[in-house]
Amino acid sequence: MTTAMKKVLTGNNSVSWGVKLSRVQVISAYPITPQTTIVELLSEMVANGELEAEFIKVESEHSAMSAVIGASAAGARAFTATSAQGLALMHEMLHWAAGARLPIVLANVNRAFGPPWSIWTEQTDSLAQRDTGWIQIYVESNQEALDNVILAYKIAEQVNLPVMIVLEAFVLSHTNEPVEIYPQEMVDEFLPPRENPLYVVEPGNNYAVGSLGGPDVYMEWRYKMQKAMERAVDVIKTEGENFGDHFGRKYGLYEGYMLDDADIVLVSAGAFTSTVKYTVKHYRKETGEKVGVLRLRAFRPFPHDALREALCCRKKVAVLDRNISFGHHGIFYSELKSALYRLKDDKRPPMFGYILGLGGRDITPKDIREIIEDVKTREEIEEDIIWKGVKP
Amino acid sequence: MKEKFGLHNLPEAPVTLETTLINKTGSWKNIQPVLQESTAPCTAACPAGIEIPLYFDMLIRGRFDEAAKILHESNPFPSITGRVCPHFCEQKCNRGYFDEAIGIRGIERYLGDLYLDKKWSPPDVTRDEKVAVVGSGPAGLSAAHFLRKKGYRVTVFERDQKLGGVLRYGIPDYRLPKDILDREIEALKREGIEFKTGVEVGKDISFEELKNSFDAVFFGTGAPLEREMRIPGEELFIKGVEFLKDVNTGKIKKFSGKVAVVGGGNVAMDVARSLLRLGATPVVLYRRTEKEMPAIREEVERAMEDGIEFKFLTLPVRAEKKNGKIELTNIKMKLGEPDETGRRRPIPIEGSEFTEEYDAVITAIGELADLSIFPEDLLNKKGWLDVDLRTTATKDDRVFAGGDLVLGPATVIEAIALGKRAAINIDRRINGLELKEFRPFEKVVEYKKIVLDYFMEEPRQKQPEVPVEERIRHFDVEEVGDYTPEQVQKEALRCFSCGHCNGCGTCWVFCPDMAIGWENDQPVFIYDYCKGCGICSAECPRDVIQMVQVRTF
Repeated sequence: MTTAMKKVLTGNNSVSWGVKLSRVQVISAYPITPQTTIVELLSEMVANGELEAEFIKVESEHSAMSAVIGASAAGARAFTATSAQGLALMHEMLHWAAGARLPIVLANVNRAFGPPWSIWTEQTDSLAQRDTGWIQIYVESNQEALDNVILAYKIAEQVNLPVMIVLEAFVLSHTNEPVEIYPQEMVDEFLPPRENPLYVVEPGNNYAVGSLGGPDVYMEWRYKMQKAMERAVDVIKTEGENFGDHFGRKYGLYEGYMLDDADIVLVSAGAFTSTVKYTVKHYRKETGEKVGVLRLRAFRPFPHDALREALCCRKKVAVLDRNISFGHHGIFYSELKSALYRLKDDKRPPMFGYILGLGGRDITPKDIREIIEDVKTREEIEEDIIWKGVKP
Repeated sequence: MKEKFGLHNLPEAPVTLETTLINKTGSWKNIQPVLQESTAPCTAACPAGIEIPLYFDMLIRGRFDEAAKILHESNPFPSITGRVCPHFCEQKCNRGYFDEAIGIRGIERYLGDLYLDKKWSPPDVTRDEKVAVVGSGPAGLSAAHFLRKKGYRVTVFERDQKLGGVLRYGIPDYRLPKDILDREIEALKREGIEFKTGVEVGKDISFEELKNSFDAVFFGTGAPLEREMRIPGEELFIKGVEFLKDVNTGKIKKFSGKVAVVGGGNVAMDVARSLLRLGATPVVLYRRTEKEMPAIREEVERAMEDGIEFKFLTLPVRAEKKNGKIELTNIKMKLGEPDETGRRRPIPIEGSEFTEEYDAVITAIGELADLSIFPEDLLNKKGWLDVDLRTTATKDDRVFAGGDLVLGPATVIEAIALGKRAAINIDRRINGLELKEFRPFEKVVEYKKIVLDYFMEEPRQKQPEVPVEERIRHFDVEEVGDYTPEQVQKEALRCFSCGHCNGCGTCWVFCPDMAIGWENDQPVFIYDYCKGCGICSAECPRDVIQMVQVRTF
């Protein structure tokens, strides 16, 4: 087997390489910062003949998603990428893709919604697509971005649900890191051409997709979708382990860092978790206090059981949300609260929800250190949102 | 009983369980599309009704031989018309409103030449009846060809020593090389037509004799007589048609001096341009203005390019011989009210006479048929041959007539058209059938019906041309050259194909219900599933798909 090559790549171009290695057959996208360079590189790869795929230019993200829906329904492996307003424009078709049970992979580069106009990172855009029926996986590094595109197809094509890979604007999308690029044959072994599609729309095959489903059948199909999502929890876990066996990098439903013996657990998702890990490592060294980190990866399906098990009996849990559901709380915070509700009172840790870093504001080790100090002072939940860094 | 659906029997994804073909969505419609071809403006404008889009269809597919075959069905002499026709088709071409009209004539010429030495295989003689054709100009040759194709024995009588009539003795070589004409006639001989030259009806054989020896006679004797000016000194003038005949037979090889050419028609142009090429300095005198000239526009333009002088609103009133020259007195004219032809009538301006000196004067003010051979009962009150132009029939059941003989000086293609019309009706008369009347085309595709979104501006392909300074020095060098095969195909691709389905597939692409199938390069409507949305009809670039009512509420 040829050895892997290393390249210095941005997060976006790592995604492009993941797409290339997955031998995607149809790509359709509409440019939007900070996503654009993902499909820019892909279009070059297609034009150069490095990637044998159809690249469909479209006039909007709604059309881009429609095009990959068509491609996927026709049996192809399809990919698109977008950000914020673009993702919102796709919203209708996101439901459509999931409802039609198509294993499309989308890379969303987290970007804050306008107004006020912003191109910087925030998780609200992807989290707002929570109920579309898409699997969502949040990544921390460029390598994880590349790996998880491959993994996403592996998962999607087993459960017949679409997968959204989520990475942060600029912090990942435009930042270079050394990334290992696997030999194609190694990827081919792990991810063979798309197998056993639920259906293929093609001449001579007279299916109707998206036809009327009356009250007599609709609910059953929604039940099947939920069951597929539930099944996805196991598939993500198993395939993450298989990926580790094959490529040497293992991925789970979540990632623990200094978690095993931790009394205080900081929960976050995405690239800024690196800052959290860094701070925790130093904090432990300096104070000896048992602080740990739980990085969320799978948001949909939300791995309730695994998280309940991971957080059971901890002294305190702090959730760091770079997002907000207006009129409610940080989204990861409220999701996690509901997951832990089934724990007995004495086993359920008090939780504190911090909102920070909105619209791309920097999250620094100092911020994290202050949060740890703050958590230590708190015993009971007094407020559901603890704002971090709002300037007076 | 209907099966109950539940988790156990529903598929994983919400797709239909069975083919959707059971749902005959076509039952929802009240209108539906039909493939209904209509006439292209080029076809409608052509006196012979040549179905141009039909053979263009073959050209865009690269099937040149089939294209040539289709063209020859309606026009047996495209090598000739491809050179001399005033192309009424191009004047009405819808593409002309978009960028430039299609070069139909150039393509016609290309296909004619391509086929020239390959035609015709002689049709079997399937009839006992014999038909005589008098005159071997375009009308006569056309009638002879179509009659021969119907299985008749055909004999053509020509008073001149050589065949071709006006094609040989009227049209100069720089417009129509004699070689082309000879090869056209060779093809007709191969077809089994009998030609008798040097036989003049009324002299060598009488009208009655001819009529009695044949089952039908077609007269296409043309308009060989030059109209007289009826002015003093006219005997000094040369007649235009006679001059051309002398030039075309080689009797006149040179001509010098300043020569007045009187008239504004095609003969006047041919005379003036020939004179220039033979060494003379022609001056065209015409009593109206350039706008009213009856000559083919292209010929007027070419004459002007040649550098020939035109004197408009000028009419000779008398001539005298002086010192070996002709002193011609002209009067200036002005335009009055339109006459019966729609052109403004020229009125002499009193006291505007002026005198000029010429070495010769050639008149070409209109040509007349020679009606002396016809018995009086075939003539009408005006003394003209009484012919029903819709059928070419005369008052005599066995006598038909066409071409310039009945039209006055007209065009080759009009003569060909009447020759064909005569052949059809002679056949019907012999078979005891009612004559078929020619009717103009009714539904002609208008420019506004063309969906322009499907076309891009593209300049017309140009045929090569001999430069003016070069062409005026030769009489027998053809001034316009041939398209290349690539140009033919490029030009054919510019054609809108008005009213004719050329299998572009736009309807097939647009049908949202996949209710259009494809057979023999054409759409086939699958009415069981067509909901009658009309998109195919709206998108058809060439007005071929019409929506028709199939149900009313």
